[in-house]
Amino acid sequence: MNAPVLTPITQAMQEGALTRRELKQLMQRSDKPALLRLLLWFGVLAVTGSLVGLSLGHWLVFPAMLLHGIVLVHHFSLQHECCHYTAFKTRWLNDWVGNYCGLVIMLPNRFFRYEHCDHHTYTQVVGKDTEMIELPKSLFGYFGYISSYPYWKAKFSELWRHCLGRITADDKRFVPREEYKTVIWEARLMAAFYAIVILFSVAFQFWGTLWFWFLPVVLGEPVMRAIRMTEHVGRPTVADMKTNTRSNRVALPWRFLCWNMNYHAEHHYASSVPFHALPALSEKLDGYIYTEKRGYFGAHVDIVSQLLRKSK
Amino acid sequence: MQDTWHTIINLSALEPNDVTQVIYNNQTLAVYDTTDGVFVSDARCTHAGANLCDGYFDGRNIECPLHQGLFDARTGNAKAAPATRSLKMYACRVHDGEVQIKLPHL
Repeated sequence: MNAPVLTPITQAMQEGALTRRELKQLMQRSDKPALLRLLLWFGVLAVTGSLVGLSLGHWLVFPAMLLHGIVLVHHFSLQHECCHYTAFKTRWLNDWVGNYCGLVIMLPNRFFRYEHCDHHTYTQVVGKDTEMIELPKSLFGYFGYISSYPYWKAKFSELWRHCLGRITADDKRFVPREEYKTVIWEARLMAAFYAIVILFSVAFQFWGTLWFWFLPVVLGEPVMRAIRMTEHVGRPTVADMKTNTRSNRVALPWRFLCWNMNYHAEHHYASSVPFHALPALSEKLDGYIYTEKRGYFGAHVDIVSQLLRKSK
Repeated sequence: MQDTWHTIINLSALEPNDVTQVIYNNQTLAVYDTTDGVFVSDARCTHAGANLCDGYFDGRNIECPLHQGLFDARTGNAKAAPATRSLKMYACRVHDGEVQIKLPHL
């Protein structure tokens, strides 16, 4: 049995930011908000996908693929919500939709869940936070990260390693021993799925997979990398949730795409609160957490200012 | 040493259809008002020690507020990752409007 830990939500309640009754109210689950949002989600994908289709053979296909890709890479936000089991009340729906999202963006769902659990345990603790993005040392490092090259390199290596049945010492920090096989077979099934898709595309000379999926995801990923940077990069590397996480006030289309994950500090405080209740939680925690009122842009102004100061 | 019943909370003080935190003898307990009656467990998640009383309860299962691991509140069985070890459950009963657990006689 582990020693009792002071979780962010327990701390918030002890400090009077929120009552247990309010928390319980905000935690209420429902399938409806996510199912409705998912309908709109597929509608948006149909529109951006159509733009790609209409611009094939023209240079406009590249901005169209970028737009489509920005929506596609936001499957990460939905997968993230599913990995907390807060997207849907019905637990298996979270698993199914989480796995679907994982296939779209090549992020094995079970492994991501374990890794992400550790991120919530050790948020911004250097050497322990499994998802920590360090403040870049230079503009070269900043743009290098946003290019997504380091991200894809890490993800392909991880998938390959797990396909070969290798669980590293780092993996063992957060994957329970009894789950090693699950993680390995999850990676193998995912790799097999991609292999079948590629073989099918080549055999039938069907390049839709490239134009409507693979290329847009590659083009869109830098946007997701830039958004993920706004969550913690440049915030103090301490275990205090009041300061180590940044919430961002962003416009409705971004909130729709990221499933309200711009309310990031609120999410870290109470990860059992579903996406649709995060705005209400944000009102309760107003002034208690750190919020960047200028949104993603302001967060990057902050990050770049800090790295320029540091590199002088 | 003989086990005896100890009153930990009045039944009327429980959060209806939810989990209630009780501190008894410096021990934090989770008292669940489930669809199948009242059950009591240690309040700490066996995965990372978070307080389960702050978690989402659906009438049968308690979800850890930190990592959303899932336990059957009636048996203590770990039902979903990252929880793998069962909760410590206490033998309990409702007697004369009081929730009681069985502990070694002090």
